[in-house]
Amino acid sequence: MVRIPTKVLLVDDEKDFVEMLSLRLQEAGEKVSAAYSGKECLDILEESSIDVVVLDIKMPGMDGMETLQEIRKRFPLVEVIMLTGHGSTETAVEGMRLGAFDYLMKPADFDDLTTKLQGARKRKDAQEERIRLAEAKLLMRKSGGTF
Amino acid sequence: MEKIRLLLVDDENDFRRTVAKRLMKRGINAIQAASGEECLDILKNDPVDVVVLDVRMPGMDGIETLHHIKKDHPEIEVIMLTGHATTQDGMDGIKTGAFDYLSKPIELEHLLRKVRQAHEKRVRREEKQKEEDFRVKMEQQMIATERLAALGTLAAGVAHEINNPLAIIRESAGWLASILTKDELAHMPRKADFEMALGKIEKGVERARRITHQLLGSVKQMDSTFSEVDLKKLLEETVVLVQKEAVNKGVEIVQEIGPSIGTLWTDPYKLRQVLINILTNAVHATEPGGRITATFESVDQQVALTIEDTGQGIPREHLKKIFEPFFSTKPPGEGTGLGLFVTRSIIDKLGGEMDVESQLGRGTRFCIKLPTFPHTEGDLGTK
Repeated sequence: MVRIPTKVLLVDDEKDFVEMLSLRLQEAGEKVSAAYSGKECLDILEESSIDVVVLDIKMPGMDGMETLQEIRKRFPLVEVIMLTGHGSTETAVEGMRLGAFDYLMKPADFDDLTTKLQGARKRKDAQEERIRLAEAKLLMRKSGGTF
Repeated sequence: MEKIRLLLVDDENDFRRTVAKRLMKRGINAIQAASGEECLDILKNDPVDVVVLDVRMPGMDGIETLHHIKKDHPEIEVIMLTGHATTQDGMDGIKTGAFDYLSKPIELEHLLRKVRQAHEKRVRREEKQKEEDFRVKMEQQMIATERLAALGTLAAGVAHEINNPLAIIRESAGWLASILTKDELAHMPRKADFEMALGKIEKGVERARRITHQLLGSVKQMDSTFSEVDLKKLLEETVVLVQKEAVNKGVEIVQEIGPSIGTLWTDPYKLRQVLINILTNAVHATEPGGRITATFESVDQQVALTIEDTGQGIPREHLKKIFEPFFSTKPPGEGTGLGLFVTRSIIDKLGGEMDVESQLGRGTRFCIKLPTFPHTEGDLGTK
């Protein structure tokens, strides 16, 4: 069976971390992009299609929470998993209230990460599927149901 | 009137007895001594507030006796009795440390007044001493608390900084491990060695991660959220969390809730953390067939939480150290030595107190007292 890779965007100012986790996720069969700041993350989302953003909370400049809010506003279908470096679950939970799918504490367990990536991906697929169905219904109604 | 413990020293028996009798009528039950030597003997065993001491005595005279009293019992006040019109003796006495002197023949009212004054002086000095002791103790506690707080802040900073490189190590090792599973590397030479070493790296990272997370946990408590907590429910929920480990080991956990226990205004997450830490320790320390009892009860304006186990107990030399950070008797890698350190700092922040008693081979009892109305301590974190 051919697995469709999840398109993951890793966002963290720790370059080495992003690089190694990218390699690892690619090795596991995902399609990974990297961004080293909140702004870069938004630029990439603008240009390419992404399923899940793995977002570090603590970054210089635009931090994770700000970036999350911007993502929710501009790319509401993209799922976000928060990464917290300082174990402050409060911020992460706050992020989930704002719509993030889940959070992970650094250094994260890889199995945890892949499980959560899959979960996020599933939620996004399901949502897109619902939208498609709704659109189809809408079309039917517009055409007066005269099929 | 306060009870004054008085010792009356005079070699003239008639005089001494008469004074003692009259003092008795005024509510002062004086002990009597007929010589300086006898006086010092009595002071060895009986606590006395004030000594009334005749200067002229055969054998050891008053001034010499006074010297001894001031040397061995500096807290005792002494009133000298001098012969008629010999103020020189009295002056010598005051120079040696007597409270005052009276010339014979004495008037009882005079003596009484002096005795009371001497006693008051002593009481005041003791109160002052108590205040001083208290102040010193408080200062020492403050220093200890500040030192711990500084240590905590430092540790958290270090922990935070270490988490990032740890994540890099973990992802690097994980990446290599995943490459090793590829078909192209199926026949790589010494593959098992690589796998073994990568496994060790992964385990080492996990161990370091546990430490950093616990350290951060100890400082994170800054942001406290207090709420009305149902203690019975909290205990039940928490026991469920450690129950599995206890059942596996054959240890029974008994919950007891005092009759008047309802709710407590506190931080439920932190209190649960405390319960988990102590219960887990108890499970680890208790042999199969043993029992752990967790009790919540009301004790004068406070909620007392007692967790008692029938475990191996804590040796006396360890008892002092168990709250220090990084002290652990578990093998390296199993205990971080932070559990009780974190527990203690949580209890401090919740405004409570914690005591531990232990008997080797019999078990250990942790007793935590939490205030029913916590004061500002918990509010510190809201900033």
